[in-house]
Amino acid sequence: MEVSFSKEIESLRLGAGDTFHGEGILAITKALLQSGVAYVGGYQGAPVSHLLDVMVQAKGYMDELGVHVEACSNEASAAAMLGASIHYPLRGAVTWKSIVGTNVAADALSNLSSPGVTGGALIVVGEDYGEGASVIQERTHAFALKSGMCLLDPRPDLGVMTRMVEEGFRLSETSNMPAILELRIRACHVRGSFEAKDNLKPPVSTRALMENPAGFDYMKLAHPPVTFRHEKLKYEQRIPAARQYIVEQKLNELFDGKHTDLGIIVQGGLYNALIRSLQQLGLADAFGETDIPILCLNVAYPLVPEQVADFCVGRRAVLVVEEGQPEFIEQEIATLLRRRDIQTKLHGKDLLPMGGEYTVEALSIGLTQFASSYLPGPAVEEAKRWLAGNKDRREAAAKLTQPLPARPPGFCIGCPERPVFSALKLAQEQIGKVHIAADIGCHALGTFEPFSSGHSILGYGMSLASRAGVSPMMQRRTLAIMGDGGFWHNGLLTGVQSALFNGDDAVLLIFKNGYTSATGTQEIISTPHEDAKYNAADKSASIVHTNQTIESALKGLGVQWMRTVTTYEVEEMRRTLTDAFTSDFNGLKVIIAEGECQLERQRRIKPWIQSLLKKGERVVRVKYGVDEDVCNGDHACIRLSGCPTLTIKDNPDPLKVDPVATVIDGCVGCGLCGANAHAATLCPSFYRAEVVQNPKWHERLLNSFRGAIVRALQPA
Amino acid sequence: MKTKPITLLVGALGGEGGGVLTEWLVETARHAGYPAQATSIPGVAQRTGATTYYIEVFPVAMKDLGGKRPVFSLNPVPGALDALVCSELLETARQVGNGLASPDRTVVISSSARALTTMERMQMGDGRVDNAELLKVVQQFSKVHHVFDMNAIAKEAGTVVSAVLLGAIAGSGLFPFRREDYEAVVKSGGKGAEASLRGFAKAFDIVAKGKQQQDFLAQVMQPKAAQPVRSKSVHPTGIFPAQVEEMFGLGYARLVEYQGKAYADLYVKRLKSVLEAETDADPRGERGYAITKEMARWLALWMAFDDIVRVADLKSRASRWTRVQGEVKAGEDDLLKVYDHFKPGVPEFAAMLPQSFADKLVAWDRRRVAGGKQPWALPLKIGTHSVFGMLALRTLAGTRWLRPHGSRFALEQRMIEQWLQGVVQGTQRLWDLGHEIALCGRLIKGYGSTNERGKENLLHVLEHLAKGGVPAEAAAAVRAARVAALADDAGKALDATLVQHGAPPRPVKAVPIHWVRKPRGVAAADETNLKTN
Repeated sequence: MEVSFSKEIESLRLGAGDTFHGEGILAITKALLQSGVAYVGGYQGAPVSHLLDVMVQAKGYMDELGVHVEACSNEASAAAMLGASIHYPLRGAVTWKSIVGTNVAADALSNLSSPGVTGGALIVVGEDYGEGASVIQERTHAFALKSGMCLLDPRPDLGVMTRMVEEGFRLSETSNMPAILELRIRACHVRGSFEAKDNLKPPVSTRALMENPAGFDYMKLAHPPVTFRHEKLKYEQRIPAARQYIVEQKLNELFDGKHTDLGIIVQGGLYNALIRSLQQLGLADAFGETDIPILCLNVAYPLVPEQVADFCVGRRAVLVVEEGQPEFIEQEIATLLRRRDIQTKLHGKDLLPMGGEYTVEALSIGLTQFASSYLPGPAVEEAKRWLAGNKDRREAAAKLTQPLPARPPGFCIGCPERPVFSALKLAQEQIGKVHIAADIGCHALGTFEPFSSGHSILGYGMSLASRAGVSPMMQRRTLAIMGDGGFWHNGLLTGVQSALFNGDDAVLLIFKNGYTSATGTQEIISTPHEDAKYNAADKSASIVHTNQTIESALKGLGVQWMRTVTTYEVEEMRRTLTDAFTSDFNGLKVIIAEGECQLERQRRIKPWIQSLLKKGERVVRVKYGVDEDVCNGDHACIRLSGCPTLTIKDNPDPLKVDPVATVIDGCVGCGLCGANAHAATLCPSFYRAEVVQNPKWHERLLNSFRGAIVRALQPA
Repeated sequence: MKTKPITLLVGALGGEGGGVLTEWLVETARHAGYPAQATSIPGVAQRTGATTYYIEVFPVAMKDLGGKRPVFSLNPVPGALDALVCSELLETARQVGNGLASPDRTVVISSSARALTTMERMQMGDGRVDNAELLKVVQQFSKVHHVFDMNAIAKEAGTVVSAVLLGAIAGSGLFPFRREDYEAVVKSGGKGAEASLRGFAKAFDIVAKGKQQQDFLAQVMQPKAAQPVRSKSVHPTGIFPAQVEEMFGLGYARLVEYQGKAYADLYVKRLKSVLEAETDADPRGERGYAITKEMARWLALWMAFDDIVRVADLKSRASRWTRVQGEVKAGEDDLLKVYDHFKPGVPEFAAMLPQSFADKLVAWDRRRVAGGKQPWALPLKIGTHSVFGMLALRTLAGTRWLRPHGSRFALEQRMIEQWLQGVVQGTQRLWDLGHEIALCGRLIKGYGSTNERGKENLLHVLEHLAKGGVPAEAAAAVRAARVAALADDAGKALDATLVQHGAPPRPVKAVPIHWVRKPRGVAAADETNLKTN
């Protein structure tokens, strides 16, 4: 991780009287410190990576406060960290991307929720749902329901979000339930401000150690027979305590409005979208003054039956605005109204979509129907015209163009993983198609054009495990692809160990780029050490080979067939893949595809080159190019690469019509173009140019002699 | 008092600094004393994917709000946007197509620059989306639009496109901030602020004065004016109609350069036969001699087929060296080394040998492949800047005289004649048919397997579709097959089209069998069953 968060770290130090300006997720980070958190853990993933990244980088300041920060190996280990709060009065927070992270953490969460906590336990999850999401569209809500955890869903205002962090700890302590704070993507990245408070040094901390462990208490174990008692505690004591706290501290907000016969119950996180939608219908002003009363659920679970009943009773109709499926909140409210025989009409998923993000437009479509029934008038008609206008414009625009090509994310320029997919494409041309179990990570970008490779993605580090049922049924061997991030997160145990134990015939390719790159190049156990970076004479060279932890782990487990290949050697990689697919060896075959993350390398190279140039030292810059008169315009090179800098331009030859390939600025000279030209026998149009800046005197001399002869040989 | 927030959606690609841009905007609002909020979904933006940033500003200064705080939306609202600003033309059109912009409210500011998507780049022919189509979308659904090349401005100013976007936003007067407010925030950025300000200022002026982009619009929306091209050599005139003259001149020059005058005269003879057929089919030239014109292009290109001699010649010219110097931006004092990647195989060498030798060499290579080896090839990385490298290339280029004696030359001439006959006969049957067959010349290009695939496809189409019973149907079938042949390199679409038009799919090629393993649980005796599968 060579991104610097120095500015963000400064804002963590703000105190009472200061105003914090910045991103939502950093505001949450600050609020953790204001709440006297004693330990923080987690596993990175958009959109909550920054929380942990900043804290890891702020190690000095965390030490000062006595806060322990741990970059956990996966979400399960992060969730298990909360075990500290079972016995001890320690406030702890962990973070990850949900739903995937919560799935991984589920076992620990169940075992944590059962005995309950003493110190406040807060789980900050990035609810990766809707536009921009990169995971399965499921709700975290279900976990809160099944395990008995509070679920905070604050409205996306920095002041409310930070308050809910503090309240979350207190709620957790009051109810003994762990609490989840869910933040949608746009709320994590919202830029706003709030009035800061002083950070609290935790009373028990790395600077104020506990003398003795807690006494033995069987009730604190998630073990029968006390688990039966725990189950009862959940509904007899904990949930009632939580409800009481929610009401007393007014965690849910009530916004009154003039149409007292109607009401809207909304998840806190959707409040702003709802207000904008009401504005579109002329039912709210710019400051959120609403005509229809709103109950804003900053705590989405548990609901407080009295609060909801009080809100509903006497109204003609109530609309529940709840994103995603199933509609847990609406169902609970329906049950509650029925049991109490409250005759208020209940709307929700009958008017609003069952799935998908509740954008302002999606909300407005439902809200317009709601208003049509209960508040007909010119404003509703106006809204209908607006919605119809959107539809008309979309249809008209679609007629003007062909369907526009998508632009999914792709491998970085010079990414060491791209050449492996080139080699894989070539190897399959030779030996036939193979089943490819893909995985989570940057290499999942190989599922997009031009590689379109991969048959399944079952979870982070799950590729090798996910082919266990396929390979015994298949004539050809199967391939499992895994990143080093996935390998350490999960793959080593679920995949490698299982394959070895069962004596499986399998091929595993591990991308060893040294970081968990897709989440922001965080470091892992196999990241090259600082001194390797420092000692490398050529700072531009990959140094991932200096850390052999993956290889030692595999050897230790008993892997017998293991090959390490530098990824840019396409021909060598193709040959190694073919070897693995055709070898007589019937056990697990592992190919380590070695090449350091290009992002990290570039962050290191740029300042290094700058400093060399400043000192007037020799620097060689490499760029690839295509001879436009030699290029055949078939673009086979692009189908084997997809590099953003390898693109096309108009054919300068007036006789030819198809565009030619060209290499644009930004090429980092990784060498893939040349390697592919050789491995795939592409057209001979590629050249590699080496520009020597500040050459030595003898180089200059040689060059002038050589240049004179070469020029004499060249025709115009 | 205006009580609606001003709304702005920014479209950008990952890595273009959209995050910095939103930070600048929020800071500028703070500097100017207005409430503002920005958000983004950068999760998918990484590595050049498309993404958006959304900003709202309340048009009343904080001090005049009496402590009240507006509630801002985190989502852009279709039809309720005041401005849409994008760094890439297709992304602008995408957002407009999504219904975000509306002609009664939205100012659209877009870069005219295209970052081509992988889908567009990877096609075998030209897969690029037409700029004019994209512009039409922008024009039709915006209140005001400004389109100019933001990339070029960023490059000129030595900065990134985010600074240019900021300048464009500021120049549009969308927000109630002064220019100084924006500049103060950029200045406080420290490193790179100077360059950012230069980019900012340029874009500001362009949008504020609404000038430059008109040129671009006019250029894209008008049909391309034919560029006069002057050929280097003198070609025989008066043989072909005026419409064909220019293309013929280019073709003639290409062939003189490629193999000499005699070969160019063969081209004239061949093209004449096309003209004769076309004159019969269309005596008054109502179709503008399109067949002859197209044949002037494709015949010249096929006759000047690419081989190692041609490549060596092109790569060793002085003009090429100058072009490379420009492309890699080598400075005056820098040394430039250029390495060329070649991988000639048996077919390339056999091409230069007489038929009998060539056959032997090819047979040897086939035996190698049958034995499970890779076809023989010689991967070379030749330093064109070195004396040895240049000498090697010039020597190879000097073997031009050997070319007509080689096996490939004879083969190509046979195939060219076959195609030429197809065009002539097709034209005699129906002008459209001849035209379609002539256009099939586009399938022939490149080297090695690409070239062979193209020729096989063309000859297959010629054999099975061009001779079809009803000429009009045959013309339609040839056209469909030509389009399909450019759809994918495995030829799936072509085979489907062939079958659809009643022709046999292309013959299956023999591929060596690679024996992979004996799966567990399958007895040794059963192995043979699997092998033959």
